[in-house]
Amino acid sequence: MQKYSVFSLVKNAFSNHENWDLAWKDPTPKKEYDVVIIGGGGHGLATAYYLAKEHNINNVAIIEKGWIGGGNVGRNTTIIRSNYMHDDNALFSEFGMDLWRRMSQDLNYNVMFSPRGIINLAHSDAQMNTYARRGNSMRLNGIDAVLLNREQVREIIPMADFSENVRFPIFGGLMQPSAGTARHDAVAWGYARQADSMGVDIIQNCEVIGFDVSAGKINGVRTSRGDIKAKKIGLCVAGSTNILAEKLNMTLPIETHLLQACVSEPVKPVLDNVVTFGAGHFYISQSDKGEMVMGGDLDGYNSYAQRGNLPTLQHVLTEGIAMMPFLSKLKMLRTWGGIMDMSMDGSPIIDKTHIEGLYLNCGWCYGGFKATPASGWTFAHTIAQDRVHDLNAGYSLNRFNTGHLLDEKGLGTKTWIS
Amino acid sequence: MTQSFRIENGGLINRDKKISFKFNGKNFFGYEGDTLASALIANGVHLIGRSFKYHRPRGFFGAGVDEPYAIVQLYRNGETEPNIKATEQELFQGLEAKSVNCWPSVNFDVGAINNLLKMFLPAGFYYKTFMWPKSFWYKIYEPFIRKAAGLGTASIKHDKERYEHKYEYCDLLITGSGPSGLASAYSAAKNGAKVILAEDKSRFGGTLLTSEVNIGNQSGKEWADSIISELKEMPNVTVKNRSQVFGYYDHNMLVMSERISDHLPKTKKFHPKQRLWYIRAKEVLISSGSIERPIVFGNNDTPGVMLSSAAKEYMKVYGVLVGRKPLVFTNNDSGYETAIEFKKNGIDPIILDTRKEPQSEIIEEAKSMNINIKNSYVVVAAKGYKKVKSADIAKISDDKEELGLIENIDCDCICVSGFWTPTIHLASQSGNKTKFNEDIDAFVPGISKQNEKTLGAANGIYTLEETLKDSFEKGNLLSKKITNNDNKISFPNVVEKKSTVHDKFWCVPLPKGKNYKRFLDFQNDVAVSDIEIALKEGYRSIEHVKRYTTLGMATDQGKTSNLNGLQLVSKIENKVVPSVGHTTFRPPYSPISIGAIVGREVGKHSKPTRKSPMHSWHEKNNAVFVDAGVWLRPRYYKRGNENLFEASKREAKNVRKNVGVCDVTTLGKIDIKGPDAAELLNRVYTNAWLKLPVGKARYGVMLREDGIVMDDGTTTRISENHYHMTTTTAQAANVLSHLEYYLQIVWPELNVNVVSTTEQWAGAAIAGPKSRDVLKKLFPLVDVSNEGLPFMGYVESELFGAKARIFRISFSGELAYEVNVESDNGNFMWEKILEVGEEFEIQPYGTEALSTLRIEMGHVAGSELDGRTIPYDNSLEGLVSKKKDFIGKRSLLREAFTAEDRQKVVGVVPLDKKTSIPEGSHLVKDSKATLPNPKLGYISASCWSVEYDNPFSLAILKDGKNMIGKKLFVMSPLKNKIIPVEIVSSHYVDPKGERVRS
Amino acid sequence: MRSQNEFSYGGDATVKRPELGKEISDQDWDNFVYNRKSLRGKHWELWQHLSGCRQWIKIQRDTATHEIFKTLKANEEIS
Repeated sequence: MQKYSVFSLVKNAFSNHENWDLAWKDPTPKKEYDVVIIGGGGHGLATAYYLAKEHNINNVAIIEKGWIGGGNVGRNTTIIRSNYMHDDNALFSEFGMDLWRRMSQDLNYNVMFSPRGIINLAHSDAQMNTYARRGNSMRLNGIDAVLLNREQVREIIPMADFSENVRFPIFGGLMQPSAGTARHDAVAWGYARQADSMGVDIIQNCEVIGFDVSAGKINGVRTSRGDIKAKKIGLCVAGSTNILAEKLNMTLPIETHLLQACVSEPVKPVLDNVVTFGAGHFYISQSDKGEMVMGGDLDGYNSYAQRGNLPTLQHVLTEGIAMMPFLSKLKMLRTWGGIMDMSMDGSPIIDKTHIEGLYLNCGWCYGGFKATPASGWTFAHTIAQDRVHDLNAGYSLNRFNTGHLLDEKGLGTKTWIS
Repeated sequence: MTQSFRIENGGLINRDKKISFKFNGKNFFGYEGDTLASALIANGVHLIGRSFKYHRPRGFFGAGVDEPYAIVQLYRNGETEPNIKATEQELFQGLEAKSVNCWPSVNFDVGAINNLLKMFLPAGFYYKTFMWPKSFWYKIYEPFIRKAAGLGTASIKHDKERYEHKYEYCDLLITGSGPSGLASAYSAAKNGAKVILAEDKSRFGGTLLTSEVNIGNQSGKEWADSIISELKEMPNVTVKNRSQVFGYYDHNMLVMSERISDHLPKTKKFHPKQRLWYIRAKEVLISSGSIERPIVFGNNDTPGVMLSSAAKEYMKVYGVLVGRKPLVFTNNDSGYETAIEFKKNGIDPIILDTRKEPQSEIIEEAKSMNINIKNSYVVVAAKGYKKVKSADIAKISDDKEELGLIENIDCDCICVSGFWTPTIHLASQSGNKTKFNEDIDAFVPGISKQNEKTLGAANGIYTLEETLKDSFEKGNLLSKKITNNDNKISFPNVVEKKSTVHDKFWCVPLPKGKNYKRFLDFQNDVAVSDIEIALKEGYRSIEHVKRYTTLGMATDQGKTSNLNGLQLVSKIENKVVPSVGHTTFRPPYSPISIGAIVGREVGKHSKPTRKSPMHSWHEKNNAVFVDAGVWLRPRYYKRGNENLFEASKREAKNVRKNVGVCDVTTLGKIDIKGPDAAELLNRVYTNAWLKLPVGKARYGVMLREDGIVMDDGTTTRISENHYHMTTTTAQAANVLSHLEYYLQIVWPELNVNVVSTTEQWAGAAIAGPKSRDVLKKLFPLVDVSNEGLPFMGYVESELFGAKARIFRISFSGELAYEVNVESDNGNFMWEKILEVGEEFEIQPYGTEALSTLRIEMGHVAGSELDGRTIPYDNSLEGLVSKKKDFIGKRSLLREAFTAEDRQKVVGVVPLDKKTSIPEGSHLVKDSKATLPNPKLGYISASCWSVEYDNPFSLAILKDGKNMIGKKLFVMSPLKNKIIPVEIVSSHYVDPKGERVRS
Repeated sequence: MRSQNEFSYGGDATVKRPELGKEISDQDWDNFVYNRKSLRGKHWELWQHLSGCRQWIKIQRDTATHEIFKTLKANEEIS
């Protein structure tokens, strides 16, 4: 494989950029693989990469209905953090943070991971206490967290509303300095390129039609490009999980919902951090291109449409202006929607299933992008070893039956309420 | 400077009104009716900014919303706005604008070094480098890239402007006032339909303002004027200019932004800057026209290269020449109109037509005017850096692959026409699956998904006659369906000289040995070579191409670049265009001010504020308020220099010693009536309710179906079939909805009605050993003795003439009562309580003292009932009935919920009896353990016990049941605190609950 | 026609609460509390006219296109 570097860039410049290799090939599916990963999103691509890299399983296919990276890895707000309260979430995410920090070098693809810090704003003492509970938990788990008072917040983000004319004044905030953002598409492409170079077949425009299950075992998958045999199949299709589950006669603790996001026109750098509003649901960061990247609430009803309606965005942006009034004068450039696997406690599922050889990776809610490397790593482990790793033991499917729930927000099963 | 490029006469500007403005610090003049762009061109200014990546000089490309180049920083009335398109900004007196993305100036821009390095900066270069050494990305590379980011500068001042929203219904919404919009609006209006006609620009008429056509015995413009003035007079028609319909949402909901004040030096008093219209239309006619497509050639981004339709618009609308030595480069008849307009203004254009032997009326006219026409000719490359100075041109072979001898000819502008691209954004947003029309090499709307039809050029219909005919018909047909009127309009005779014959040609090949940049996306600097690299590297899906190269992702959203990009991909990939497909169109059509989207809900009004009827009393008496959801509640009443801690301690102490009064109006109140009311309560609450006597209150806990505590509160049986339920402030709305859900959906057989009465009653809690004395004074006729009104008793009476409800319930753990009166009497009640209570040293107390009182009594509240705990965790298992079923009971059987070492609420006291325990800290066994240090529980609530005068906290602790008496550490790494503590009972004060019953 | 803002979503309308007081398996209980089909296409669901008449209604809506086909009152059975 070509190594990307400033030298390769210069070298190729002098050959008119005509000698760049394919980042990944476009193979026809083979009849059989050791492992088939369904879903060419961030998690699927990462899983294939770690299967090859960590477990020497190279005879792997990723099958993707559309084009790789076309799902949520390509339509999120690029935030990466591990500021969780529950141990299972925190330790899993922090493991992921470590993978993020090394990702550009590991993949030889600049994913532009940028640890610019995330600040969750608090608007009451009670909220400061709730954040303290989470922040202290993070610190006891070895994750960085700082509790900021009003003045410390003002120093970092003076453009937030510190005026008198404010409905919910800022009391302070919880900051995770090591959190940040990354270039989302690059993550998908970087994993794809390395996975491909290690022998993984990336098969695009290949839709799953059905599964071949007999005597409680998985034997293969039927696709729009023919049947593919595999003794191990990993489902990695957040946003379409319910559709594939139905083909397997499974009903899961997941609902499919729509989350919108938008960007403003690009402006010169004004906001360094990721900031979230505490009196509602709004988050913002500024991309390296200068666009303000903003998001917030779900549209609030089951949906597979990658298009939302304006009232939700209006509501989200109202909170945006409440937090940072200067946003009022910017213009909204692009909006888009992503389809979320909303699990019934807000945390994901990475587990085996009652079907031998079938593995499940789903329920990421809004938090899928940041989990990409850790999800891929643990899912690869679960598939390769046929057992869950300590890191994803908490993400079991039967926790809903046992009551070992991981409810960060305490909202319960009404996933559409945020 | 003089307006040396202004034509002597003509145009639609008001030459009587001269307007002065500033660009990059220099003073200029224009006329009323100019845009910033037309005024600058009139003054010979063509260098406006620099491009995003290579910092190449940028001028004007279009004359409207499709403009990719002419982005400026605008200064208006003491404020500044970034990224304003000069082609859209109307000129006003005192306007100031500056170039963006250049330093130190637009003329000499240091960033232009990127232009020299461009061979090293192909598509996606940043993915391939800036990785070594690792730390450099964070410290050096990224900060550098970030600095280069963005176009204009955002002002971080608060926005002083006002934005409004309007909700409107109509029969027909028509988007665009060109020929199709006017014709359809006119025929629909004549049928009496309620019509809204929206025009993005300041002038109505669309292409009719600039095209050489006749309708009836009028010119196109005259016809447009007459129709518009007639429409304006009709009561069933709303005509709006400066109004862009930018989004087509579900169920025929469209959103329009009306720019009311952007064209004025400042917003008039009481006027909004912009108004957002939510329009629910029965039928939508999309008449948004089309945008001219560029032809791609070498250095086609040089200032002076622009769309031929824009050049014509500058002449005909603004009376401005974009150059004096124009080259018109076209593959269709549109370029001829532009050339003829030049000629009419005394300028000699040269037409390069890619077509070999085109024939039409307009070509004949051009020939008869002696315009120099070169057939089978193309522009190979523009020459000049900051402005076009000449052009390399050549003959092109019939198959359009081979270039002939390169010739260089002088010119100062190149007007390009590569035919037209229908503006299908709204149709596509509506869910319409677009289809590719081979005749016009572009996508057009397919089968309608919602009630939308697309007319005229937006539908790929490029002859005026057909457009008008179709539009009259559709307007008539759709309105007839709604109004049942059928007023036919006689169809006017149309004269048009253009034909629609064009070459399917959009990109000039590179001459041998030349490596000109041929740009597709002018703002993001995406060139043909970038697309080639992306495809070579396997980024083949059109979405991959777009994302890898950033094609079409600039502020013009690819209005002039997307289709050419598609053509290129289809050619290289050897696929037909429709199988390449286009990326999804999403709202907004063009960037929309966030302020307009949000409207009036800003500042203090971003969310409602709810206040109790006693609010102004609290204000007058130095209450410091706290937000409780959307309610404002007194947190404490400040006396002198007291701080929160001192004041709340004083207030709490006074409750324990004398008596206090607390405003509890915010608690949710639900009236429950009906013969099955008791049955409902019995199913909703975990404890038994069927035997509660009239005149008695009971405390209850309700669960969600997953077994988690949802809320708690008391419910009182007012009469046989009438109950009064209270909820926490936070859960009031959810509990009501919860009850309604079960009554309407799950158990419709229950005969019960529920209604919120939170607003109907004002509530005051009177608590403390002397509260009975206060009650006696308030209600001299009521027996409030322990026998007459026992704990959990209820009576109705009058409080100095006001109807009152008296509950003997207690949150503070003291002898306490809650009095409710109708809201209007709330303040009266409050003042009376304080008046009669004075002799018993009554004091008002706020939520902070309330917290202290409940914490030391071990009463759980929101910080324990946090959506993650079950009754057992809160020591409420005694209230869980074993006999009957209730909502969520089945879930309590789950393994984790019945575990031996299940978490439970406990009390926590610091060993030194001095150190306050911060809320949100965690309990650990070993404060020095390596991380991750296992956490046993967390501090949910802390107070300074006024009873024992030492800190006391509640915690939810693993195996809490067996931990009483154990010594642990409280850790708050955030506050750098480690506090040795002892675990005690959560009922720190009066564990037997004797006081409330005293 | 009322604005979307007045309504609040209530989830899958085909999920039936088990009868009170009846023995029920873990699986059936989990199916009621947690497990949802949530498919693409036609979906019967509950909505409440929260900022209005407070009635719960049943709506058949397409989760892919948001098109609404049928509405039922709370007490009407889905056929």
